Amino acid sequence: MALSAMGLSLAAQNIHRADTVARSLSHDVVTADQVSQQQVTNPLEAINGRVAGVTIQKSNNGIAAMNAVRVRGTTSVTGGNDPLIIIDGVFGDLSTLSSIYPSDIESFTVLKDASETAQYGSRGASGVIEVVTKKGAAQRTTVTYNGSVGVTHVIKNLDMLNAAAYRSAVTRQGGMLIDRGYDTDWQRAIQQTAFLQDHHIAFMGGGERSGYRVSLGYMDHQGVILHDKLRNLTSNMNMHQRMFGDLLNIEVGMFGNVQKDMTAVYDVQKTFYSAQAWNPTFGTKRNSGGGWDGFTLSNQINHPLALMDSRTQNKITHLSTHAKLTFDLTRNWTLTLFGAYSHNEVEIAQFLPTSIWSGGKGYRSSAKTESWLGNATIAWDKRVGAHHLNVMGLAEVERDVHTGFYTTTTGFSTDAIGLDAIQSGSVTLWDGTGSYRNAPSLASFMGRFAYDYDSRYSLTATMRADGSSKFGNGNKWGFFPSISATWNIGREAMMHEVDWLDDLKWSIGYGLAGNLGGVDNYMTQNLLSPAGIAPVGQRLAVTFDELRNANPDLKWEVKRSFNTGLSAAFLGNRIITSVDFYTAKTCDMLYLYNVGVPPFGYNKLLDNLGSMRNSGVEVALGLTPLATRDMELNINANVAYQYNKLLSLSGYYNDYWLEAPGEVDLVNLNGAGFHGGNNHIVYQIVGQPLGVFYLPHCTGLKSDGMGGYVYDIADLDGSGDVNIANGKDRRVCGQAMPKVLLGSNINFRYRQWDVTMQINGAFGHKIYNGTALTYMNMNSLPGYNVLADAPERNIHDQTATDYWLERGDYVNIDYVTLGWNVPLSQRLQRTVSRLRFSLTMDDLLTVTGYSGLTPMINSSSAGGTLGVDDKNVYPVTRSYYLGVTVTF
Amino acid sequence: MKQIATIYHILLMASLLALGSCNQFLEDEPTDRIPADEAYNTLSDLQLNALGPIYRNIGGSGDSQGLQGTARGVWDLNTFSTDEAIIPTRGADWYDGGIWQNLFLHRFGNVDFTGDTWNYLFKEVLACNRALERINAFASSHAGEDVRHLRAEARSLRAMFLFYAMDLYGRVPLFTASSPTVQEMKLQDRSVAFRHIVSELQAAEYDLLNERSPRHGEYYGRMTRPVVQFLLAKVLLNAEVYADDDWTDDFRPDGSAMMWTVDGEQMNTWQAVEYYCTKLQDVGYALAEEFGDNFSINNEESPELIFTIPMDIYDYANRFTQQFRSLHYNHAAALGLNAENGPCATIEAMRTFGYGTDGQDFRLFQTYYTDEVYLENTFTPVTLDDGSPLVYYPMEVRLDLSNSLYETTAGARMHKYEIDLAAMSDGQLRRNDIVLFRYADVLLMRCEAMLRDGRAGALADELLNQVRRRVSMDDRTATLESVLEERMLELAWEGWRRNDLIRYGRFTLAYTDRPQLDADVKGYTIVFPIPGETLTACGCAQNPGY
Repeated sequence: MALSAMGLSLAAQNIHRADTVARSLSHDVVTADQVSQQQVTNPLEAINGRVAGVTIQKSNNGIAAMNAVRVRGTTSVTGGNDPLIIIDGVFGDLSTLSSIYPSDIESFTVLKDASETAQYGSRGASGVIEVVTKKGAAQRTTVTYNGSVGVTHVIKNLDMLNAAAYRSAVTRQGGMLIDRGYDTDWQRAIQQTAFLQDHHIAFMGGGERSGYRVSLGYMDHQGVILHDKLRNLTSNMNMHQRMFGDLLNIEVGMFGNVQKDMTAVYDVQKTFYSAQAWNPTFGTKRNSGGGWDGFTLSNQINHPLALMDSRTQNKITHLSTHAKLTFDLTRNWTLTLFGAYSHNEVEIAQFLPTSIWSGGKGYRSSAKTESWLGNATIAWDKRVGAHHLNVMGLAEVERDVHTGFYTTTTGFSTDAIGLDAIQSGSVTLWDGTGSYRNAPSLASFMGRFAYDYDSRYSLTATMRADGSSKFGNGNKWGFFPSISATWNIGREAMMHEVDWLDDLKWSIGYGLAGNLGGVDNYMTQNLLSPAGIAPVGQRLAVTFDELRNANPDLKWEVKRSFNTGLSAAFLGNRIITSVDFYTAKTCDMLYLYNVGVPPFGYNKLLDNLGSMRNSGVEVALGLTPLATRDMELNINANVAYQYNKLLSLSGYYNDYWLEAPGEVDLVNLNGAGFHGGNNHIVYQIVGQPLGVFYLPHCTGLKSDGMGGYVYDIADLDGSGDVNIANGKDRRVCGQAMPKVLLGSNINFRYRQWDVTMQINGAFGHKIYNGTALTYMNMNSLPGYNVLADAPERNIHDQTATDYWLERGDYVNIDYVTLGWNVPLSQRLQRTVSRLRFSLTMDDLLTVTGYSGLTPMINSSSAGGTLGVDDKNVYPVTRSYYLGVTVTF
Repeated sequence: MKQIATIYHILLMASLLALGSCNQFLEDEPTDRIPADEAYNTLSDLQLNALGPIYRNIGGSGDSQGLQGTARGVWDLNTFSTDEAIIPTRGADWYDGGIWQNLFLHRFGNVDFTGDTWNYLFKEVLACNRALERINAFASSHAGEDVRHLRAEARSLRAMFLFYAMDLYGRVPLFTASSPTVQEMKLQDRSVAFRHIVSELQAAEYDLLNERSPRHGEYYGRMTRPVVQFLLAKVLLNAEVYADDDWTDDFRPDGSAMMWTVDGEQMNTWQAVEYYCTKLQDVGYALAEEFGDNFSINNEESPELIFTIPMDIYDYANRFTQQFRSLHYNHAAALGLNAENGPCATIEAMRTFGYGTDGQDFRLFQTYYTDEVYLENTFTPVTLDDGSPLVYYPMEVRLDLSNSLYETTAGARMHKYEIDLAAMSDGQLRRNDIVLFRYADVLLMRCEAMLRDGRAGALADELLNQVRRRVSMDDRTATLESVLEERMLELAWEGWRRNDLIRYGRFTLAYTDRPQLDADVKGYTIVFPIPGETLTACGCAQNPGY
């Protein structure tokens, strides 16, 4: 899709004029109008489901959980899969974006194709989300208040045995019954009803030649787990001023926020595993010693309320400022200078009491990133008759300075003092304290040529060079060209006859993009780091050692992508539709190989061998079946089909042949009796999509000869006996990432009333219900509680087979908002120009066949939880918000 | 159009120019670590940064790291594959995808940490090679400096890691470069590796000093001459196993027929073992007065210890997880520590110790916790959550205890080391140095060598009975059988059982809860499989049977 008319960000603006001619039908733009319909407090929620091919998934329901965002799937296996976030031209990340108040956002533009992302080079290899915040404009001064209050509560927990059923199950099995006489629902015991409030006020004004906008936002959210709390204060300022006639336009902006969150969930799995499996006969009161009673049979979990005594506090302080000078030198020449500085600090303070951590643990850390960015753009724009030409050159430098320190203490004699005086711990271990600094830099040059004829044919060619300090000499620079063309068929003379067709456009593009997300600092150099204390001579000394294999030959991972798309509008733009196809091959793919020791000193080596294919089709449809003065109905839907295949993971490193093993495990089960062994669930297998389930096949349950049942495992390889090791009795039986994603937004307005509904869905993938595997195993009694229907099924086995592999398809109503724009009298309108009330319900309904808590688990990031529900899922919640917007 | 072309050219030229000057900007000088060429410029730098990391890694904190003290590494492979110790499945606990059962049952293809252990050992071999390259580079640029001791330390350390690797995996690569070529990485026959290790140790022996490595001071934890002599005795004692390149053919070479040059004299294998054992006696090694002196919190002064892993709560990251993994939850909790309630002694071990009989060995209670447990300082009994006393049931142990009445309490637990109540990190960070080599083993090795050399009699008996008398046990006649039994009694849970059983040809036989595997009888399980990455890198075949 071509750049949108809204795309006002950095480079886009420089070629703005060239692009206005190719007016987009793209659905890849989400504007303030759309965002303001709903009450969202995280900007990412505003675009969720609205752009085809963009997957947004919350890593969990924790108070400060980060979203995983994927644009057209996962294209790298080592890292750098997060899209680039650009906020008013300043590079940011998902965390920065989350901290912006949605009301401050003018528009989002999602760039997916190589030709679109080319202007951002390597950083945009995994897609780009451009965010433009609101600016002042030449209009009367306005003040807008936007606020909401809400409540979130838990609507679904796992159904575990209650105390009576637990007692009888343990007794029947002849286990040691520790009965404290209570009947506690531990999941409920660590939950609360959460209250939320948000307030935001924006002042906007300006004259002919200048404008400003200043906003303040405050957010105070509780989470549904006890003590979960998040506060965020943001401030955003933008102003612009024209000078020297029309020669110079100055734009200056500053954004700052402080976000504090606090939680008692220091380990998600430990918290929910404990709350689900803890002995239900225990009570919720402290014992006479002020502590919590232990239950030594369940050594992998803790008293759930003891866990609630832990505290983890994060504080993120972010400040960014930017200035942009645009010189309209002549009618044709424009020079733009842009500079930005941002400072980000993450402070973590943690205290784990002695009841849950041997000796207790106090931890404090600070991690700072200072980022400097500067660029200069010169553009030449010329129209001659129907010809329109735009040539642009850009040079850019960026340096990020990362520094930080951390310290840990243990050996606490009291739990009374926590993270504010960590010297209450007597022991400071050597490896618990440290500091670091690194300062990678990037330099880029880009030349871009855009030509348009009569708004019918346009062609854009880009050449970009990116250089990174992370690579060694000879490999620093990567060159990434791209080209794209658009034919606006609708503007051809012959089409003017066709009344019902408003627009028809075909575009095609090909381009390269580099990625270095998986490359850490100094990975190409042999360097020595402090490695620990050794007795040396009469003293103790810190030794220095190489702690990993260096690879001096590392280079850019390159994604080559091709895309083509057709978009059309019919019947007075009542029907807008687009179809896009893309295919991308990641070459020189970075992968952390398991290598032989010898020849390498360590058994992991990052190298550019291997390749992966991603392709897909995205269909978007916008319908406006009703549009009268009183009534309007808009239906937007997008469907993305995505296909991913790991093509190769082998090649020569110098003389050594490297090859990833046939099956590499990505996700393993965890918990009592699941440490190591054949507990791998999700694998990465060459020739398969990234993240497939590779499991023994269970043909059903069979008797264990003692009245219970075990999983009957098939001898898949026909060897005569069952061996569930890799390469033996296992098979690929599904993928963890959805094949099809659905997003739909329905908006209906009747006079001053409107209803907006957002629906998302995912299909074609599976989920491993490791939670059920664990809690259906009657062997875990009495130490660990089991599901309510476990005694009836009487399974005495926890071998991981495909028995608990389930379909993950779902459709979820993310939210429904009911809005009322209060009709204002003429007289009132002189002071209040707009007044709106809204009521929003989040997570109204999930339709799924999945038997676990929710199918909305991680099914997009190739990390340690992909596709596996393993006692680490937050309870299912629902929220209600009441919102008001008033503009003076 | 021409104008455009010109502008495009100018931009291109400017870009190319800028590219050059930009390379300066793209140099990232590290400030939180140091380049390799700045760390080895003096003798003490070499000691610190070339050898220091290797010494640091003799112990470990992560899985599969270190020769002893950690989980899923050398010690586990040598211990839980034998009739000495077992990790039973206890309900949901300790199933772990079947690895512990597979290890006990000798299904080694399904024990995933065999590869991690190989990687650890060869990581250290490569570190020794790097150290030697740095020592040699230093020597060539500093003609006056004496690097012989440093060089001998690195060579003998390398020989020690190769010994463990050759013992566990049979065939190993022998290379001296820090980045070996494919050719240099070829796996060598076991007999070649064996002779190489012996000659390397002999070459290093006299460049090292006759210092006691376990004692605080300049040589604490370091390679010294007695350590090398112990290793020579140990390696040679297993000559018949190590000189056998085809271990599945039921035939072993004869140790008495193998001749060795030791200090210029020719002698057979058993005489050579005895020779090295005698050397250790001559420099003053002796049994500690009490068996427990070797395992106390302050065991550094025991006259018996030859090589240890230095331990300290504050200074080193080395962990001691053996006891932590073994003790019952309530037992450790009563001590203010944590535990995992897993490994315990086998029924065979209990029988050897005479558990419950009149002839119970005095080392039983110093080696294991059995029956009711009382806290040593207060004599109060340890109780379970329901208030009943904790009772360990040594004879109830089974490979899978799930749903058994004794699920959490079956099996005698590891004692041996004095409990350090000041321990940190769940009780894994503690002060008792971990014993790798000690003199009691030397006496038993010497005794066994004499017996194998056909010299049974009063001297052999005396060697065996020195060990027995210290723990007030009656004298026995030294036979190969009684020596093997004594080794289990004296050296239980010290990481030698697999080595002993293989030397005695017992490793592949069935014992309680372990039926003999089909091909086990042929002997292929006396070595572990070599990791696939290594085979891919060197283009070599896997060990037979895997």
